[in-house]
Amino acid sequence: MPTCKECKKFFPLEEDPKKGDCVQRVVDPRQAFYQAKPVEADRNAASCPSFEKR
Amino acid sequence: MAVTAESLKELEKKQAWWWIAEKKRSRRLDYLRKAVWKKGAIGGLYPAGLIVDLERPVLQTEKARELESSADPYVIKFAKILAHVLDNKTIFITDHSQLVGYLGSTPNTITWDPSLASILNHEVINDPQCLPEPLDDSLRTIKDIVNYWAGKSDLDKILPYMDLDDSMKILSGAIGWGVPLARGGYSGKDYEYIMTGKRAFEDIIAELDRRIDDAYAKAHEPSASKEISNLYDKINNWEAMKITLEAGIRYAKRYARLARIIAENFETDPARREELLKIARTCEHVPAKPPRDLQESLQYDLFIQLFSRNEAIEGAWPARPDYYHGPYYEKDVNVDRVLTEEEALDLVGEFLIRAYEVSQYKPKWSREGLQGIEGTWVWTLGGVKPDGSDACNGMTIALLKAARLVRVSNPTFAFRWHPKVSDEVMRECFECIRQGLGYPSMRNDPVLVANAMHWHGHPIEEARTWVHQACMSPAPTTKHGFQPMRMANATANTAKIIEYVFTSGYDNIVNMQIGAETPPVETFKSYEEFFQAWVTQMKHVFSLVVRPVNRGRMLAPTLTPRPFLSAVSERSVESGLDVNDPSISRGNAWITAFTWVENIDSLAAVKKLVFDEKKYTLAELKEALANNWEGREEMRLDFVRNAPKWGNDDDYVDSIMLDCLREAAKFSRELKCPSGNSWPILPENVSGNIHYANVVGALPNGRRLGDALYDGGISPGPGLDKKGPTAVLNSCAKIDHITHGRAFLLNQRLSPTQMAGEKGYQLCKAYMKTWADLGIDHVQFNCVSDETLRAAQRDPEKYPELIVRVAGYSAHFVDISRKTQDNIIQRTVQGLA
Ligand code: SF4
Repeated sequence: MPTCKECKKFFPLEEDPKKGDCVQRVVDPRQAFYQAKPVEADRNAASCPSFEKR
Repeated sequence: MAVTAESLKELEKKQAWWWIAEKKRSRRLDYLRKAVWKKGAIGGLYPAGLIVDLERPVLQTEKARELESSADPYVIKFAKILAHVLDNKTIFITDHSQLVGYLGSTPNTITWDPSLASILNHEVINDPQCLPEPLDDSLRTIKDIVNYWAGKSDLDKILPYMDLDDSMKILSGAIGWGVPLARGGYSGKDYEYIMTGKRAFEDIIAELDRRIDDAYAKAHEPSASKEISNLYDKINNWEAMKITLEAGIRYAKRYARLARIIAENFETDPARREELLKIARTCEHVPAKPPRDLQESLQYDLFIQLFSRNEAIEGAWPARPDYYHGPYYEKDVNVDRVLTEEEALDLVGEFLIRAYEVSQYKPKWSREGLQGIEGTWVWTLGGVKPDGSDACNGMTIALLKAARLVRVSNPTFAFRWHPKVSDEVMRECFECIRQGLGYPSMRNDPVLVANAMHWHGHPIEEARTWVHQACMSPAPTTKHGFQPMRMANATANTAKIIEYVFTSGYDNIVNMQIGAETPPVETFKSYEEFFQAWVTQMKHVFSLVVRPVNRGRMLAPTLTPRPFLSAVSERSVESGLDVNDPSISRGNAWITAFTWVENIDSLAAVKKLVFDEKKYTLAELKEALANNWEGREEMRLDFVRNAPKWGNDDDYVDSIMLDCLREAAKFSRELKCPSGNSWPILPENVSGNIHYANVVGALPNGRRLGDALYDGGISPGPGLDKKGPTAVLNSCAKIDHITHGRAFLLNQRLSPTQMAGEKGYQLCKAYMKTWADLGIDHVQFNCVSDETLRAAQRDPEKYPELIVRVAGYSAHFVDISRKTQDNIIQRTVQGLA
């Protein structure tokens, strides 16, 4: 089972590597931006359509 | 088209200011301005492409469930829920931006706070167009959230403690709007505490720790008293304040981390990388510590505004950005020279854009009343310092210049004019007006400082700090002077006063007895008797809108606390009491009087045609009004054409305005807010004149049910001011703008052709001098020709950025209803002599 920590988009917290941010590039009809959402390193990534192997 | 002096001149001749702005602004500002998702509702509906953000309500609900079994008092639970949202919401950084922070998880979201009111939650679940796909999943999530908060939301908790009779009348929508919620309205801020660079969040946390330790020690001394019992509540409040401040610091650090991640892993352009690292340094520093430069100061302010809007739904944005950011602007641009004027303009322009994009899901009545905008975000510029000296600075000019470059309709500016304002600053204000922004509105500072002292007893140094708490009403930014919440339902649809004189208080539109049961109108034998019935109805209506607000404010500290706003307010940090506690506030309440001038023209018509000329009886008029003038068109036209109208320097009708205002002012002193201060009236409309068109019945000024009401607070009816601009000013000057009410909104239309060039400026300056000398407190201008407005009605896609002044706010012309558009076109264009 892949987990977030194996994903290129996962950036662990220095102080607690079990947690981190999922950082993604998004382009909507008006603007482009980077977004970050807190995720657990061991979160199941099997069904994540944005998973990218490190 | 290449940007040449010729092409700009050509565009200027065509008054195509929005194209000029596009060509003049930097590439960054152009990107950011076009990138922003417009949030103001059109015809009560949010624009296509926006979606309700479900992330925040899900986070709120999951944390609330988790805390249900906790022993924490409510205020601590509330603070923890807020912290949970800030810690876990999705954040983003837009390309080219230098300032960060948004309420929602993506730029096109409207945030929804389900803890405010179940009636709002039901609007969300029934929203026809903004629910995210897949719809079934969204509906399932929303249903769960709505069910959870049923009976737990603020309004659900407060209503059982309100007077049912008053509540039903308010909720009928006929007499006022809004609900008496302390987390829904216009929040003033204690900027003198939080924005002067003397302290930031870490300093306040240290202060809170000291107070908690002291209180804890005192509470455990060998003694017992009421004061000791009160300490337990205070400790809870202080703890809650601390939780929100710590969460705010963590939230900013999340942005710092994201900026570094982008810079170090994704960004290839070295210049942008450096900008991202600057964002990171900024967010590592503020709001924890006081700002050191302009970018930090703007970012700090933005964070505070966003935290406050995470805590409450705020329909206004009281601010004085030139005064509080000015020292940083001067330092960066003129002293240290680390920013060029153009670089500073980029930051200032982006600050306006970041405010423009903020959005919170609001009820439909509010969206309809504020067509095309999110709320009345009137930022205050100019004015004087507490010592009376001119407060204008480089930032004042930068904001006025930036406004012309980004041309957002929200925030708008209101300028505190006083005799020491420099010509340079006045020219910048004039350029904004001439270029059709509809702002700044002009406020007469000496008059309004005196007004603040007269009505609420603010000491002069505090009165001089005033900002617009919403569209119009001044409020100090000081420890005891600022007002943490002005609830929107202290807004009266005052055309009902004259309507109720004819119906003995029965409202035929909503079929309820709302007004006072005055005797049948046909029994009045004299104008004096008739006028006394008007006074009775006026007292009844004003009391009705004020009582629930007073009650809501009394209940607020326990039922609907605001720990974040308390944490940035000196009086709460010092006392341990919630910011809404009336005992620590001087009071700065006011009643917004929508649709006021209809009363004056109606009373004048009755006096002249019924009592003086005896052409009609009151019984006849009552019947004509009850039938909406049907079959009595000739009679109606008599009331329109042959009765004197306000705004023509005619003492017959102008004296009636003064009689009404004197009666209202007298009664304002009897109406008391929970702090023991007065409730003066403030005649203005937002777009209430359109919103209430189908709610106000036929009136003696010749108006029919459904006709738009007059647009201003003391503006003459559209097209009814026949005697020119001086006559309008002379009528308005008969009002005592210090003692008759809190402020009076005056709309004027100017001809753009006349305003062109130096001659235009000199004409405008002369007009402003007359206005100031006459002691009138407010005036705002539309300076767009009928031709342009009609062209925009025909081809809206060609005029997406055309801005007009609606009432106390500006909006893009294409975003307001046809009825409001027509109403603006009907206003008389004043030729200045
Ligand atoms: S993209 Fe998916 S798998 Fe990758 S970090 Fe984000 S949530 Fe986890």
